[in-house]
Amino acid sequence: MQVSKKIVVLGHFGVGKTSLIRRFVEDSFSDNYIVSIGVHITKKVVEISADDSISFILWDLEGTDDLTLIRDSFLLGTHGVVFVFDVTRPSTFQELSEDLKIVHEKITNVPQLIVGNKVDLVVLPELEALLKQHEISVDFLTSAKTGGAVNDMFMKLATLLTSHA
Amino acid sequence: MDEKDRLEILKEILFTDDREYAEKIAKRIEQIEQTVNNQERLSIKVGPIIDNQINDFAKNLPSTITAAFKEEIKNNQDEVVDVLFPIIGKMIKKYVAQELRLLSERINKQLAFKSPIGGMSRKFKSWFGGVKEEELILSGLSSAKIEQVLLIEKASGILTASYSDTKTIDEEMVSGMLTAIKTFVEDAFGQKNQNLELIEYELYQIHLQSFVSHYVAVVISGNYTLESKNKLQDIIFDFYNDFMAMKLDQAMSKEQLRKKLVLSFEDASI
Repeated sequence: MQVSKKIVVLGHFGVGKTSLIRRFVEDSFSDNYIVSIGVHITKKVVEISADDSISFILWDLEGTDDLTLIRDSFLLGTHGVVFVFDVTRPSTFQELSEDLKIVHEKITNVPQLIVGNKVDLVVLPELEALLKQHEISVDFLTSAKTGGAVNDMFMKLATLLTSHA
Repeated sequence: MDEKDRLEILKEILFTDDREYAEKIAKRIEQIEQTVNNQERLSIKVGPIIDNQINDFAKNLPSTITAAFKEEIKNNQDEVVDVLFPIIGKMIKKYVAQELRLLSERINKQLAFKSPIGGMSRKFKSWFGGVKEEELILSGLSSAKIEQVLLIEKASGILTASYSDTKTIDEEMVSGMLTAIKTFVEDAFGQKNQNLELIEYELYQIHLQSFVSHYVAVVISGNYTLESKNKLQDIIFDFYNDFMAMKLDQAMSKEQLRKKLVLSFEDASI
């Protein structure tokens, strides 16, 4: 059986949301991506067992540094959230707990993953120290450029959605 | 040694270099003459130079022509229109003639209709309604046609069921985008309980009928009039009524719902 799930991908401006989705959906990466405007919708079907699959309807929302500005109507009926930040720009994760609080006010009781993207541009031990310093726990460190952990992240989300249903 | 011999010796001493030089030049001229007069030898020398020139010319020709054309079009727009007008005019004329031929064929088919009942009913309508039979036929030919129906969850934009007469791009993505457009427009005007009802694009129109939990999007081609809209709304309301009953009974598989959609919309005339 195939079920469809609406996933919203959120985060500050330029953290790599569109590239992350593009890597997952088309398995490709473009350095010349166009900054997303408003919302862009893509779809990918993921097999979770021999008989079952999930159709991810991915809502790539316009990046904004003020998450309160996100259009509430775009978040209605959301089944899962991917919150993305840029590991090379502390300004995109310094206020993570505050950002997540805003997200939770808008979307309640759905599986959520926190993802640090652009991990190919940093030295891992240094990044881990920085995240520890800011008391940030991430679910995945991804690279849309190399594809690192992108599929794993969405597979994890599929598992969470299945157990949540 | 007399005077003459001395002079000869002196000439010998003074002009030896010049003479050698003159001999060399004469020899060289002779070689050049041979080369020029011999086609094969000449082509070996000149061929590569001509080839280079031709290559350069070929390389630069398109950009030169394009630039010249652009300049010419820019400077003489009226003349360009004059030149193109007959060609485009002929194309349009040909297209219109083709379309008229098709329409004429369809009218002929209708007039030579297999079902006498349809023909009779049209004649009656014409007699009693005071409308020409030809006009009734034309209005029948230009009527709206349902191309695609999507039943979409209002909040999430997730597609619940669909019926399509023609193949389109992924219906789940279309549903998502329609929902995003719909909510964006409704938010933008900030009016509570107002719904986006119609999207037009070229030859198609998308009628959107909103309910509480779902909305129905119907893609229509042809002449979508107010009368068609009324008929379509009746069909949608009937379908939605059945859909809600199925939902309440919890007797609703995706396939059953699709069948219901097909049943409601496939042969619907609007």
